[in-house]
Amino acid sequence: MGKRFITAEDVRRHGSGPILVDDQTIVTPQAAHAAQAAGIAIQSVGGAPYQEPSPDRGPDAPRASGLLSKMPEPDREGAAGTGVIVTAVGRNRPGILAEITVALGEAGASVVDISQRTVEAFFHLVLTVELRGETDFAGLKQRLDCLGGKDDYTVRTMHEGVFRFMHRV
Amino acid sequence: MVFTDREILETVRMLELETLDIRTTTLGINLLDCADPDLESTAEKIYAKVVHQARNLVAVAQSIEADYGVPIVNKRIAVTPISLVAAACGSHDLVPLARALDAAAKAVGVDFIGGFSAYVHKGFTRADDALFASIPEALAQTDHVCSSVSLGTTRAGINMDATARFAEVIKETARLTADKGGLGCAKLVCFTNPVEDNPFVAGAHIGIGEPETVLSVGVSGPGVVRSALERLGPEADLLAVSEVIKRTAFKITRVGELFGREAARRLGTTFGIVDISLAPTPAIGDSVSDILERIGVERTGAPGTTAALALLTDAVKKGGAMASSSVGGLSGAFIPVSEDEGMIDAVRVGALSLAKLEAMTTVCSVGLDMVAVPGDTPVSTLMGILADEMAIGMVNNKTTAVRIIPVPGKGPGETVEWGGLLGTAIVQDPGRFHCDVLYRRGGRIPAPIQSYRN
Repeated sequence: MGKRFITAEDVRRHGSGPILVDDQTIVTPQAAHAAQAAGIAIQSVGGAPYQEPSPDRGPDAPRASGLLSKMPEPDREGAAGTGVIVTAVGRNRPGILAEITVALGEAGASVVDISQRTVEAFFHLVLTVELRGETDFAGLKQRLDCLGGKDDYTVRTMHEGVFRFMHRV
Repeated sequence: MVFTDREILETVRMLELETLDIRTTTLGINLLDCADPDLESTAEKIYAKVVHQARNLVAVAQSIEADYGVPIVNKRIAVTPISLVAAACGSHDLVPLARALDAAAKAVGVDFIGGFSAYVHKGFTRADDALFASIPEALAQTDHVCSSVSLGTTRAGINMDATARFAEVIKETARLTADKGGLGCAKLVCFTNPVEDNPFVAGAHIGIGEPETVLSVGVSGPGVVRSALERLGPEADLLAVSEVIKRTAFKITRVGELFGREAARRLGTTFGIVDISLAPTPAIGDSVSDILERIGVERTGAPGTTAALALLTDAVKKGGAMASSSVGGLSGAFIPVSEDEGMIDAVRVGALSLAKLEAMTTVCSVGLDMVAVPGDTPVSTLMGILADEMAIGMVNNKTTAVRIIPVPGKGPGETVEWGGLLGTAIVQDPGRFHCDVLYRRGGRIPAPIQSYRN
C-alpha cells in the first residue's frame, strides 16, 4: 500500500526529481501548490501527471452498495419502464388536460392511468405515466414544470418510487 | 404500477401542506488515516480527504431531490472525533483542524460538518484536553463546524470533572460569540451514551466502529403526524393515537429509506442508517409541541406532557423500525425549544419550565436541546444542569444530551433571535439555588448497578 497522502511537508522534504504516487494517493492542494512552486512534478507510477483518484469508499463499500439492488422492495407489479406520477392543481379552464397530455406525448411518455375532479372553479388531475427506452425523466419534468403559472395551475412531476415505498410494503 | 388517487393525494398533501422533508443526508467520513505528527499536515490531510470524499455529496442529494420531488433540507458531513485524529500531533491548539473542516465544508457546499469531538466519559487524553481547550475559539472562528463530547455512559458513569470543564467551555463559547447571541453554543453539545452513527447536528460524528465512509439519512415530518392526529380527532382513544402515529411514521421513514438507498447507490458507498426522528423547525405547523397538544395537553408543559411524549417517541420508533432496513442514530422525537414554534409559545405563556423540560427528556430521543438561560448563569449551575441530564441518560440506559446557550447580556424572560433553523428562544430561569459543593467535589459518578431496576 502506498502513501495515503502527499502533504506540503512531504514536498519540502523531497529531494530532486518527480514525486511518484500510486493510484490511491491524495495530493493535498497545499502539496500541489508547493510542488508547482518548487518545480517538482507529481506523477503517477506510469509517468502520467497526477490526477486525483476516484474516492475509495472503503473495503465494505463494493459489497454494501452491490447489496442495495438486491434489497427487497415493494413490487413494481410488472411495470416495465420508469413510472412517473404527474399531479396538477389549479383553476379550471378548457385545454389544461390537452396541454399536459401534449407535453407528455412530446416527451415520449405513455399514460397508464388518469383521473380528474373539479370542485367549483378548481380542479385536480392525477396521471400515472410510464417512460420507456430513451426518454429521460429530467427532460419530462423540465417540460411539465413550464406549464401553467401562478394564477393558472401548477404541475408536480415525481418518480413513482416515493409512492411505491410509502404505500406498498 | 397504479396507485389510487387517495394514495397519490396523501403523498402530495404531505409534501405541499405538511412540510414533509428529509431533514438531512449525512456522509460519514473516517479521518483516522489523516493522523500526522505535524499539525499543519494533519489539517491539510483533513481538508483534502473531506473534499475528496464529499465532492459529489451535494450534487447527488440535489439530483435525488429533483427526481423524487422531496426536499432534502440539509447536506452534512460527520467525521471521526478530532481528538483521535489529532492525538499524534501533540498540539495544544487544535483550532487549525476546525478551520480545515470548515474550509472543506465550504468547498463542498454542505450545511454543517460535525465531529470536532472527544470521548471523555472516563478521563482525558492529552488530545482530549487540547480539544476541550480549543472548542470555544474553534466555534467562534468557523461557520459550519459542530462540536460534541461524551461525558458519561451507563457502563462508565459520569466524568464530573469533564462535566464541570464542559460548562466552562459553554460559557467561554457564549462569550466569544456574544455578538450573535451566544450562537456558538448552538453548535456545541454534550452526551451520555452518544450514538456513533448520529446524522443530526450538533452531535454528528462517526465512531470508530463505523466503516471508511457511510451515508445516513435523518427523516423529519412532525407536520404530517400532527395533521394525521387532527383528522383522527379528540375522541379516539390512546391506542388509536399510537396506531395513527405508527402508520404515519412508517410512511415518513419509507421516504428516508428510499433516499438513503438511492444516495448510497449513487455515491457508491455503504448505506448506514435512517434516523427516524421527528425534528421540528420554526416553520408554522412543523412542530413536535403541536403533536403533544393534539394528543391531549392544553399546552406543552402541562401535566400529561411527559406521558404524551413517551407515547409519541415509542410509536415513532415502532412505525419507523418496520419501514427501514437499518434504524439508528437517535430515532424518536426531538424537543429543541428554540426550533419549535409551539414550544417557544409554551415557554412564553409560562406552561413549559426548565424542570418540566428535564422531565420530558427522560422519554424523548435526546435531551435538553436549544435551551437559553441567562448569560450570567454560574458555571456551577450550568454543570448541575448538565450533570442532571447526564444522570438521566446513565441510569436509564439511553442517550441524553444538553445543548444550552447562556445568552450574554440577557436575563430570564428576554427573547433572543438566532434566525434560520435555530429559531427564537426565551431565556429560561434556572432558579436561584446553587450546587457549589457538588461542583467543587469533582471526580466521577460511578456506573449504576444494572440489576434491581425499579
